[in-house]
Amino acid sequence: MTATPQSVPSIETQLAGYPFLDADLCLKCNVCTAACPVAAATTAFPGPKAVGPQLARYRQPGAPPPDPGVAWCSGCGVCSRVCPHAVPVAEMNIVAKGQIRPRGLRALRDWGLSRPAEVARWTRPFRRIVAAVLGSFGFRAALEGMVGLARTAPLPSVATRPLRSLLSAHVREVPTDQASGKPTVAYFHGCSTNDYEPWLGETAIRVLEALGVTVDLPPQVCCGLPLQSNGAFDAARQRATFNLAALQAWAERGLPIIGTSTSCTLALKHEYRAVLGLSGHAVDAVSASTYDFFEYLDQVLRVPPGSLDLHPIPLRALYHPPCQLRSHGVGTPALAYLQAIPELELEISASECCGVAGTYGLKRERYAVAVEVGRPLFSQVAQSRVDLVLTDSETCRWWSERHTGVPSIHPLMVFAASLGLQGLDVARGEPSTT
Amino acid sequence: MTTQSVEVLVVGGGATGLGVAFDAALRGFQVTVVEQGDLGQGTSGRYHGLLHSGARYVLTDPVSAAECRKENAILRRMAPHTIEATGGLFLAIDLDPPDFPDRWLRACGECGVPAGEISPGQARAREPLLTPRVSRAFEVEDAALDSFELLHALRQAILDAGGSVLLRHRLTGLVPHQGGMLARVVPVLASGTEPFQIEARYVVNAAGPFCGVVAGMAGVNLPLSLGKGTMVAMASRLTHTVLNRCKPPHDGDIIVPVVTVCILGTTDVPVRSPLDLQIEPWEIDLLLGEGQALVPGIRRHRPLRAWAGIRALYRPGPSEAPTRDLPRAHAVLNHETRDGIPGFVSVLGGKLTTYRKMAEDAVDVVAAMARSNRPCTTASTPLPGPTRRFYSLRLRAKAYTAPPGRDDDSDIVCECEAVAAGPVRRTLLHPETAELDDVRRDLRLGMGPCQGAFCTYRASALALGLLNDPADDGGLAAFVAQRWRGLLPLAWGRGLRQLEFLRRVHTELLGAESAPEGPA
Amino acid sequence: MKSLIVVGAGLAGLYAAILASSRGSPVRLVAEGRGGLSLSHGCIDTWKDGDVRLGSTRLAPDHPLRAIGHRPLQAALAAFLEITTRAELPYVFDFDMSLHLPSPLGTIHTCAAAPRSLAGGHLADPTPFHLGDLAQVRDFSAALVASGLRHRGIPFSGTLALPMPVPSTAGRPDLLTLARALEDPAFRESTCNQWAPHLQGVERLGIPACLGLDRSGEVFDSMRSRLGVDLFEIPTLPPSLPGLRLERALRREAARSGVELIEGPSVRGEVDGRSGGRRVSGVVATTAGGPRVFRADAVVLATGGPLHGGWLTFGNGEVQESVFGLPIHAPEARERWTESDPFASQPYARFGLRIDDRSRPIDIHGRPYFENLFAAGGLLAGADRAVEGSRQGIDLGSAFVAIEAALA
Repeated sequence: MTATPQSVPSIETQLAGYPFLDADLCLKCNVCTAACPVAAATTAFPGPKAVGPQLARYRQPGAPPPDPGVAWCSGCGVCSRVCPHAVPVAEMNIVAKGQIRPRGLRALRDWGLSRPAEVARWTRPFRRIVAAVLGSFGFRAALEGMVGLARTAPLPSVATRPLRSLLSAHVREVPTDQASGKPTVAYFHGCSTNDYEPWLGETAIRVLEALGVTVDLPPQVCCGLPLQSNGAFDAARQRATFNLAALQAWAERGLPIIGTSTSCTLALKHEYRAVLGLSGHAVDAVSASTYDFFEYLDQVLRVPPGSLDLHPIPLRALYHPPCQLRSHGVGTPALAYLQAIPELELEISASECCGVAGTYGLKRERYAVAVEVGRPLFSQVAQSRVDLVLTDSETCRWWSERHTGVPSIHPLMVFAASLGLQGLDVARGEPSTT
Repeated sequence: MTTQSVEVLVVGGGATGLGVAFDAALRGFQVTVVEQGDLGQGTSGRYHGLLHSGARYVLTDPVSAAECRKENAILRRMAPHTIEATGGLFLAIDLDPPDFPDRWLRACGECGVPAGEISPGQARAREPLLTPRVSRAFEVEDAALDSFELLHALRQAILDAGGSVLLRHRLTGLVPHQGGMLARVVPVLASGTEPFQIEARYVVNAAGPFCGVVAGMAGVNLPLSLGKGTMVAMASRLTHTVLNRCKPPHDGDIIVPVVTVCILGTTDVPVRSPLDLQIEPWEIDLLLGEGQALVPGIRRHRPLRAWAGIRALYRPGPSEAPTRDLPRAHAVLNHETRDGIPGFVSVLGGKLTTYRKMAEDAVDVVAAMARSNRPCTTASTPLPGPTRRFYSLRLRAKAYTAPPGRDDDSDIVCECEAVAAGPVRRTLLHPETAELDDVRRDLRLGMGPCQGAFCTYRASALALGLLNDPADDGGLAAFVAQRWRGLLPLAWGRGLRQLEFLRRVHTELLGAESAPEGPA
Repeated sequence: MKSLIVVGAGLAGLYAAILASSRGSPVRLVAEGRGGLSLSHGCIDTWKDGDVRLGSTRLAPDHPLRAIGHRPLQAALAAFLEITTRAELPYVFDFDMSLHLPSPLGTIHTCAAAPRSLAGGHLADPTPFHLGDLAQVRDFSAALVASGLRHRGIPFSGTLALPMPVPSTAGRPDLLTLARALEDPAFRESTCNQWAPHLQGVERLGIPACLGLDRSGEVFDSMRSRLGVDLFEIPTLPPSLPGLRLERALRREAARSGVELIEGPSVRGEVDGRSGGRRVSGVVATTAGGPRVFRADAVVLATGGPLHGGWLTFGNGEVQESVFGLPIHAPEARERWTESDPFASQPYARFGLRIDDRSRPIDIHGRPYFENLFAAGGLLAGADRAVEGSRQGIDLGSAFVAIEAALA
């Protein structure tokens, strides 16, 4: 988890089968094996240690991983986080897994799943038709048979207009002039907020502005994480390089980069270095300047939750910190703000991961295991009879909603409603105007 | 006490002794080998794994260099399965004497040792973890030689040729007797077996560091220099090529990839006794420091285990110079002409790469004594193929891909080295297996990064059911103690964590208690 | 209420965080990874040879149990029992008696308290017992237990083999998989059906620890009554279920009592500049995105010993506490850190921080380094826990004292 940049050889070196420098730190203690949610769900996965630091010694230059079992790794990152000896287990396994690529039409599926922004751009003109077709069980069954996209996996609908066009007034090529003395941030919306949930971005900006923050929308493309998860490291690095070049201007001026998608912010903070093997000034500066939304409120803006005038939200909610947020290593910054909301009854998720882990659970061959991984969360939701599931990652929300039937929204939506900035439409997740 | 008779008795079951026995057997002699330990327990098993191209000796010892070149080629033909053709690199870095590489290259030419220069960039493309400070690089025909595999092949070859190899039999007496010699032999460990005598027409003393002791039994004074060489195994295979420093030979200037690990070697410290295997902290620091010069990231990797072997060189005059500077060429001593003891020959010095030539020279002397004119044929007689299925990186990795489940050969006991229950069982059932450490030498059980933290208990459970007369803990405490000794020289930083892990699992979780003192 | 940062998620850290949080203190638990519980037998050792209350035990002057004191240790044990009962993982404990349990090698493990499912193996209990092996399982051997017991003259009725009931779809069968599967009542029922025919005439039966993970109480009770056999568990190779259960129960309890758990980052200490160096202000965590500061009124170090990095050792003979960089006394020649017998007491095991009677690290003059810095568990000096059998007593006792003092 805390692999320092200089400990990471170039990705070419890693892919060539040379051991990660920190793999040798593994004592084989099995702490990761016991914590791995995928190994708990299926014995087909030998566990993070077995396919990771243990097998790394058997990898030879140019040869594929000797045990295809690594393909079961969902990339949730629990293993790296729980390792007492700082072994980058998940990072090793993501790289190894990237060498096992599906063939034929499944490759086409993975191509599409790794490119949510492109898919949105191409289908937006026909969004109603696409939504109707995708809503047809028969079509989804056929699609599953053809390309291996699980028929009951949740797929989001493309929004009418992307966030950048809704809020074009905020789009900036360079940071806003600092003369006003107001705090300024760059908002990294990522593709899901831009194309599928623009209201989340609007809400983020509304809350930040209410707190006196100027928000810029810098140039950006997909963070590249879906590409990385599907083994397309070169394409992922292209996206990363673009984003780093664009965001560098903010980072170098000491302006924070804020995200509401925990996976995108994790890519900026960590994956560009630790998995994609990028190094240099831009990647360090951007990593150090990136904050999760609530982490920013707590660490930079230093807004004490108790200082806010919050309206009651008389609901029962379960808060699930996504696996990706936990990998930030900053705890659960949203929690203190949620706990300050009057009448909001909060239960905390006892699960490490909801199972979907980005695009993992959408694949037919992984779907059943992903559901099994999520089962403890789903049962907790059912038993606690909550009105809402709050979670910071979009794929967790879609997945949890599909499997629990309980609406799932970003904690920010509840927070904004409690601040009185907008209403709370629980069922749709989109804010109604007050 | 019973007495057996044999034509040629070979003392010492290392590469030299087994090589002598094989050569003699091929020439029609009836042979027996006595070895005090298990195969590979002595110097042959305690080496760095390098099959020399000869390039290392072209300046200091051209005779050895030429011999290495020749033997290297023969061994590749006769026992290809014991060799991994890694190739070797000689690397000069910017700190090294700049005039050395050209002198060295010229000498390679003079000795007929192939060496070709490549650019530093090509060298780094081949070995990505190599230091950017490489200034010159040369390809040579070094390789990794698996001595355990070689010893097993030699023993099989001796048995096939009608000879016998007595492991765990210690020589306790050797006296001239009726024109030949009479040896007293005590079986070690095997309970209920009595000492016996072997009457031999000829005795070849190939006892490595113990050859002075053996000669002494027969009343012969053999002036020896004993040199201890310490080696460190890194937990991962950081290079896939043998790396040598292109500078005058010095402590710690080679890195050899061996199966799953790579070995940094070696130091050279004069010692007085063949049992003086104590490793000093400075030796470890030196090896890691020198390794760092070639592979700068090495300090972030984990040294796994350290061990030492003793080399014995023949030294007719008194001197305290390091044994490294003595000629590596071996010596064959005819004690009949030298000391008036008929039928007695000692062979010493040399190196693993030239074991065959040493054997040939020694058996030539025996043949001359026996007035036999049958020529040596070991240079053209292939050794038997692999007998142990799990002894290569490729085959081991297969254990992981085997369908999991009830199959004894996919049920992993030692996870680090991918040793399955099936081979462990078969090894335990072998009549010569007496303890878990024998299983280790055969299968690499417990030789990976966790150094037995998990597999010891599992293997002890198997041993309890399969060994004759096992300890009440299946040999667990003894095996842990043996692994512990190899970790001690590396007990700081991450090495200390591994050491404590081994201890904590065994003492606190499993409740292991100290093993009773067994025979040494 | 004073806020607290606890560093380390082993037994001492989790327990300290729960104690403080359940008294209303805001607690952040920061840990670079998980601690040693899944490597442990899950029992509470206080002293191997002797009185569990340490009344008659002669402790060395610098032993941490001496700094902790007799009464606080008892109070700490009582609080632990309360927490584990709340977490539905009840422990068996009697102030007047040690438990003597069979180890996986058939040696005798003496402890002060044990989870209910292990305590049934108490060797002073006259009920005759069998030892059960599970086919295919490599991490436990009834034959090794039997051999050890026989060697020590401890009577038992024999060994028997039980079928391994993991689902046929499973790959390499392991005990963690079995433990998870046994939480399903239907699977449990079919397992009992498979085992029952092998248990004719068996009164008491020791098996490898496998009876459930998070609902072990339910699994234990229902299988015992369904089989009509007095089951007990024996620990196995890691992951050791009794220890893992305790870790998971304490983590649940910590979350329930409001502890914020931050897993992953390494931390270094931050000294309060305004205090003239007398106080600490918190820690700086190396997170995925760089350093983040967490502040609190007091910091408790529970970062572990030689295995988990509470103090670090270097090849040049230096030894240093890892968060605040406090010096640790050790011989400079590193070959003097170890003994050649792995089963003897090891000098390195006694390295660590010395503490005062409020569990604050002290310098060589006996003065605390900081007014509000406390230390608990494996990083304390003066004890070789493996040889003494004192690990959990030190963990709980020092954490208890540290929390009392930190919140005072």
